Amino acid sequence: MKSLLFACCVVLVTLVLTQTVNADLPVTRTSDQKISRPAPSEGGRYVLHTSLEIVPDPKAYEAKLQITESDLKNFRAALDGTQGNTTIAAITHSPTRTIIAGLLMFLSVSIGGVLFARSSSSGRTQKIAGAVILVVAVVGAAAIITRGNAGPPGSYRWRNLPQALAEGKATAGGLDIEVIPDDARTGANMRLIIPLKKQNSPGEE
Amino acid sequence: MQSAAELKIWPVVRAVPNARVFGAIVLLCIVASAAFASWLPLQVSILTVFLFAGPHNWFELRYFLMRLPVRFGRSRNFFLTAFAGLGVLTLTYVSLPLLYRTALWSEEAWSTVIASWNSLFLFWLLLLIWLRGKRKARASWTWTIPVGLALCSLNWLSPDLFSLAIVYVHPLVALWFLDRHLSRTRPEWLRVYRRCLCVLPFVLIVMVWRLSQASPLPDSNGLFWRITQHSGAEVLPQVSSHLLVSVHLFLEMLHYFVWIVALPLIARAAMKRFWDVKTVPVARHAKGFPRLVAGLLVLALAAVVLLWLSFSIDYSTTRDVYFTIAIAHVLAEAPFLLRMI
Repeated sequence: MKSLLFACCVVLVTLVLTQTVNADLPVTRTSDQKISRPAPSEGGRYVLHTSLEIVPDPKAYEAKLQITESDLKNFRAALDGTQGNTTIAAITHSPTRTIIAGLLMFLSVSIGGVLFARSSSSGRTQKIAGAVILVVAVVGAAAIITRGNAGPPGSYRWRNLPQALAEGKATAGGLDIEVIPDDARTGANMRLIIPLKKQNSPGEE
Repeated sequence: MQSAAELKIWPVVRAVPNARVFGAIVLLCIVASAAFASWLPLQVSILTVFLFAGPHNWFELRYFLMRLPVRFGRSRNFFLTAFAGLGVLTLTYVSLPLLYRTALWSEEAWSTVIASWNSLFLFWLLLLIWLRGKRKARASWTWTIPVGLALCSLNWLSPDLFSLAIVYVHPLVALWFLDRHLSRTRPEWLRVYRRCLCVLPFVLIVMVWRLSQASPLPDSNGLFWRITQHSGAEVLPQVSSHLLVSVHLFLEMLHYFVWIVALPLIARAAMKRFWDVKTVPVARHAKGFPRLVAGLLVLALAAVVLLWLSFSIDYSTTRDVYFTIAIAHVLAEAPFLLRMI
C-alpha cells in the first residue's frame, strides 16, 4: 500500500516536473534561424498562443474573426496581467517561488526515495511500484524530449495555405497573439502574419 | 486523568437492520444535491449558506467537544500543537485581507504571502500527523512526509490553485468523518455507505460533462460575483463558472448534510439530546468543565443567530466575513479527524 502510494506520488511529481520543464524551455534555437520563433516586435509582447483556422467562404459578405470565449477570457486575463490560463507560464516569471518549489520537490523525492529504499517489504507491491515508476520515468523523459524538440516549426502547418485557399479548403495552424503599440500599426487595426516560405520552383536557386 | 483508551468510549448503538434505508437516504441526498446545485446554483447557494452555514458550525463544535478528552494525558503535545496551530493559522488567515488592504502588494508578493500561509498549514498538518503517528504502534505514517512536501511544492508553483483545492477538498472531509464514525457506531452500515460514496465520482463526472459547456453565470451584481469568485472563477477562467459554482455547492451541501443530519441522527444516544450539556463527556466527567462547555455552546448558538441576522441585513458582506472566519472550523477538523483514524 505504501509503495503504491509512493508510486502515485512519483507519478504526480514527474507530471509536474514535465510541465515545468516544458514551461521553462528556452526559445528553440536551430542552425536555421528562419524557423525559430522570433522575438516579439519592438514594443510588442506575446500575450497568448492559440490556434487559427483560415476558412475561405464564398458566401461571406465580410471577413469575420471568430474567437472562443475561453480564448477571449485568457486574452483579457493576459492583458490585465492576471494569471488566466497561463499558470505554468506565470511560474517562469517567479524565480523565487520556482526555487522554493524545486527545493521542496527535491526534499520530497529524496525523503520518499530513502523511505522507499529502507522499506523492508520486497514483495509484489514493491515490484509493481518500481515498474510504475520506471514506466512513468520513460514516459516523462519521452514527453520532455518531444516537447523539447517542439516538433516541426509553426510555418510547417501553413505551407500549403495558398494552394488550400485556391482550392477553397480550410487550413489550421498555431498562432501567437501579439499586442503592439498603437503607433506601430501599418494601416489596418489588425494584421495577420503568416509564416510562408517562398517555394522555389524546380531548377530555380 | 483520562487515558487514550477512555477517548474511544463512544455510545455504540446496537445493530439496526435498516442499512438499506440509510443507503437510500445517502443516495437520495447525493442525487438531490447534485440536481439542485446544477439547476439553480446561485439561488441555492445563497439559500444554503444562509440556512446551514451557522448551524453546521454549531454541530461541528459540539461534535468536537464530544471528542475532546477531559485530560490530554499522553496526547498533551498533540492537542497543544493542534490548538496552537489552530489559533495562529486562524489569526494569520483572518488578518490577510486586512494586510492586503493596508499595504500595496504586488501580485507576486501577494502570491508569496498566500504560499507561505499554505506552507504553514501543511507543516502544521505534517506535525500533527507525526505526533499522532508516534501513538500508533502498528501503522507507519512516514510516507506522509514526502507527500506533504510534494504538496507544499505544488503550492509554491501555484498558490491560488492550492487555496482553491482546499476550498473543494474541505467538504469531502466531512464524508471521511462520517466513515470513521460509522465504523465505530454502526459498522454494519459502513459497507453500504462506502458503496454510496462510489457514486460520487460518477455524479461529479456527469456534472462536469453536462455543465462544462454551460454559459457562464451572470456575475453582474456584487453577490453573484462573490459566489463565482469563491468557487474559483478567477483562478480558472477557462472553466465555466456554472460548473465551478455547481460542483462547489454540491460538495458544500453534502458537507452540511453530514454535520447537521447524518452525524446527529446516527449518534442517537449522545446527540439525540444535543441541547443537553451533560451528554458531552468533557462536561459530564467529575473533573470536567460543564460551565465552560455550556458557555461555549450558548455563545456558539448566539453566533448562529447573529449570523442569520447579519445575513438578513447585508448578505454579501456577511458571506465574505463568514467564509474568512470559517477557516477555523476547516482547520479544527484536521486534529479531530486524525484522532479518529
